[in-house]
Amino acid sequence: MFLNTLSEKNRRDFMKLSSMGVFGASFSGWMNVLAARAATTAANPKAKAKHCILVWQDGGPSHKDTWDLKPESKGAGDFKQIKTSATGIQISEHLPKLAQWMNQGVLIRGMSTAEGAHPRAKYNMHTGYREGQGGLVYPSIGAIVSKEIGRADASIPNYVTIGGRSFGSGFIGPKHQPLIVSDPNRGVQDLASQVSTGQFDNRVGLLQELESAFYHDYQADSINDHKTTYARAVTMMKSKEAKAFDLSAEPSSSRSAFASDNFSQGLLMARRLVEVGVPFVEVGLGGWDTHQDNFARLKDNLLPKLDGGVAALLKDLKEHGLLDSTLVIVMGEFGRTPNINTRGDKPGRDHFPKAWSLAMFGAGLKHGTVYGKTDKEGGTVEEGKTNAMDFLATVCTLLGVDYTKENETPTKRPIRIVDKAGKPITSLIA
Amino acid sequence: MWIRKTIATLSLTIAVGMIVSQASSNAADGDTKADKKKAKQLKLLEAKKKAEAEKPPEPANGGKAVVISKTPPAAPAKPMATEALAKMIDMGIDKPLKDAKIQVSSQSSDAEFLRRVCLDITGVVPTVERASAFLDDRSPDKRAKLINELLSAPEFGKHQSDIWTVMMNPIDSENRFVSKAPLREWLTEKFNANMHWDTMAYELMTATGDLDKNGATGYMMANRGVDKMTDSVGKLFLGVQIQCAQCHNHPFTHWKQTEYWGLAQFFYKVNVSNPRAAKDGGTITVNEDGRVNRKVNALPEAAKHVSAKYLGSDEVKLNSSEPYRPALAQWICTPSNPFFAKAFVNRIWSQYFGRGIVNPVDDLSDENVPTHPELLANLSKEFAASGFDIKHLIRGICNSQAYQRSSKPLGDNRDDKTMFSHQGIKVLTAEQLFDSLAAVLGVPGGGKDGGKAKMAPAPKGGPQGPRDQFALFFMGTETAKPTEYEAGIPQALRLMNSPLMANGRLLSAANRIAEVARPATTPDKAIEKLYLGTLSRRPSTDELKKMKDYVAKQTDPKQAYSDVMWVLLNSSEFTLNR
Repeated sequence: MFLNTLSEKNRRDFMKLSSMGVFGASFSGWMNVLAARAATTAANPKAKAKHCILVWQDGGPSHKDTWDLKPESKGAGDFKQIKTSATGIQISEHLPKLAQWMNQGVLIRGMSTAEGAHPRAKYNMHTGYREGQGGLVYPSIGAIVSKEIGRADASIPNYVTIGGRSFGSGFIGPKHQPLIVSDPNRGVQDLASQVSTGQFDNRVGLLQELESAFYHDYQADSINDHKTTYARAVTMMKSKEAKAFDLSAEPSSSRSAFASDNFSQGLLMARRLVEVGVPFVEVGLGGWDTHQDNFARLKDNLLPKLDGGVAALLKDLKEHGLLDSTLVIVMGEFGRTPNINTRGDKPGRDHFPKAWSLAMFGAGLKHGTVYGKTDKEGGTVEEGKTNAMDFLATVCTLLGVDYTKENETPTKRPIRIVDKAGKPITSLIA
Repeated sequence: MWIRKTIATLSLTIAVGMIVSQASSNAADGDTKADKKKAKQLKLLEAKKKAEAEKPPEPANGGKAVVISKTPPAAPAKPMATEALAKMIDMGIDKPLKDAKIQVSSQSSDAEFLRRVCLDITGVVPTVERASAFLDDRSPDKRAKLINELLSAPEFGKHQSDIWTVMMNPIDSENRFVSKAPLREWLTEKFNANMHWDTMAYELMTATGDLDKNGATGYMMANRGVDKMTDSVGKLFLGVQIQCAQCHNHPFTHWKQTEYWGLAQFFYKVNVSNPRAAKDGGTITVNEDGRVNRKVNALPEAAKHVSAKYLGSDEVKLNSSEPYRPALAQWICTPSNPFFAKAFVNRIWSQYFGRGIVNPVDDLSDENVPTHPELLANLSKEFAASGFDIKHLIRGICNSQAYQRSSKPLGDNRDDKTMFSHQGIKVLTAEQLFDSLAAVLGVPGGGKDGGKAKMAPAPKGGPQGPRDQFALFFMGTETAKPTEYEAGIPQALRLMNSPLMANGRLLSAANRIAEVARPATTPDKAIEKLYLGTLSRRPSTDELKKMKDYVAKQTDPKQAYSDVMWVLLNSSEFTLNR
């Protein structure tokens, strides 16, 4: 049944690609077709945000050391808070560059979620569902955005993750799986042919002939699926959009604004992808699981990297005229304990899903707003409690995706994008 | 077909199911005495069970405080001859087709049959030698002979094991430390020895001991927690999706929460040690030592007043001094069980036809009507009567005309998707694809040794060699169907452009298969052999001409064979099972 539903769609896509000459008999059609393509998404015209860059702080960042400092509390830690460009909002002194962008962003300080183990929490924050719930594998927000506002005929996938594997498309099918870029400096794996362009084209030409004969005899949907996937892959190899994966093509003036570490380079790639129309890019930065040595690790490494990288990204998006159409989310899977643990001489903070924070910048937001409030220890949410479903309903709304829509599983079970209990935070939406 | 508005809308707060049962490793380590005692008990139980099994179909009760429903079995006493079984299948398929006036496709060509049956039984394409020998064989019974040969090959067990391992050790963040290898090897061995399904299922469901000594424990190990065990046993051995009833009474089937928690009671004494222990070289164990572990398996409100109960059947009074799982397994693994034989038959059918008689394959319920109810009933009866003989069932299927039909549609039967008027075209599993590519390209880790590539034993459940890595990549982190690889853009890019497809490798494979570098090799011969080695058939006149023209046009004709190889391996005909 899954194949049938997939195939109906793929068949249409295939027709589209065929009629454009992408997978027709002639090769000359390829480049012309691709050149004619505009760098837009199929986004809802009413939504301001057409793209989303999710900056994932893998391991769970400490909210009390980033967005929600509690200088008077017991486990206040080493850091001071500083004023930002947004009236009344103070954040960590180690995020000075982002402090200047705070008037272009919002904070959610009332995150309160149910999962305290890394994989389950990551799953929950990416899908809005809990791992194993109802015996299904749910699509991550990137796959949902790909499906709902990505262009079906885009020459590169609508969901790209950079710097590590994220969560996939679950029951909505392989078409919305993320394209994974492990190392931004090396680009997409297996994107370049092993042989010269001439020889590659010869091969593809011969393959097409073989395929048509096989389809003629057997007429199965799965043969069409195979053809469509190959057509897409070849289109991508040949497309000018795929150049977005090649950072060496970036002018040195804008490239030099990003630090040389993989995370910052990944952010640069994210902007290049947004520029060519990719609606969802996730960029990972690991190391936030600071059970030990929390303060030094944050101060010397993680926070400067995050601060410099994301500030450079925001500036770069702005300069390219993309900040008005791009939502940038900065978050991890949970917060960290309000108290400092007693693990050895370099203490840290442990997992804490009960109360935590995240930040968003850019398109569609009511800038300079804070939603939610924790108690004086940063251990309990006192106002504006927000769970994974509320958060994802908010992101969907910002991107013009109807979060109440039902997608069908392979066995025709209708599953809402965000489960019934989720409600968007309207006060954050412009 | 699923009916609208079901579990999706259910409140998350009833996440009672998320009881994560990870018994502390201390608890498991401290109880070696109890373990030994239990092993003895189990052996006794086993012996008892085996003795009972010899005089089927009376279910074993063993004098325990369990009540086993004694539905008199309607199964015949002896297995049918293969021809009779095949005929029964054909009658079950042909009559509805005739009644519906749907055209029937012709018999498969030898080449279609050869490739299909090799992939279905052994999970890998045939070699050039096997292909040409079979195609040139003139004996009338060559198909039946090939089926028997393949069923005796060690790859039979390996292929079944690949399929069942994916289902029994599902991809789940909590399984990242559970090594798949012991379970996979156990399954391979048992499938190859043709251990009958009732014994195999019994051993899997009741397994105890260390993972490295008893691979069957890998099943419970990878489904830790009463909820997962209940769901998995429901799906795999009963063909029933009972998981929805965990949180609520199923609105459209008769499964109530009491059924779910009634079934779940049988797993409350299972103690699984934390697989993380294996990281530091520790042993990981499954045991059932006589105490209900309420601390680990906290009982949710919904389950508090529910008695142990066989699915859709009687309540049972369990003897708290005995392990619980054997009582359940004894009820399941019998000819009289209403689900057990059907569930397996339907899964095997779907493996061999690309679609079950009931779909989804694990949703046997009154509301989900089989396309061929009588055939399913008869096949299940026969499977039970044969003592759950797996190879007997598969041999019967493969010898049927229905299985041996061409997958080429004929006339308007193209639109028939449910009546089996023509064979289905199946997407290869990730392992089938890897093994077939590896066999053609001569890559190590494929073919015969693929199941247990000798690597340093990896403590984690992660990929353990090129084959596992390939399978993981082609399966994605999650897959819609455990038997189909994920055909997305990254996978296509890998098949087209990865070092696996480097020119040198393609050429050396072409040389090995067709000696293309030898001056004496004519293009005709070379192309024929390349077709035989990849697509298991000879090229048509038209194809041969096309390929010859192509090769002749290239400046270096010998180099051109790498193109031919590349095209054949990237064709849908190669990545599908027609």
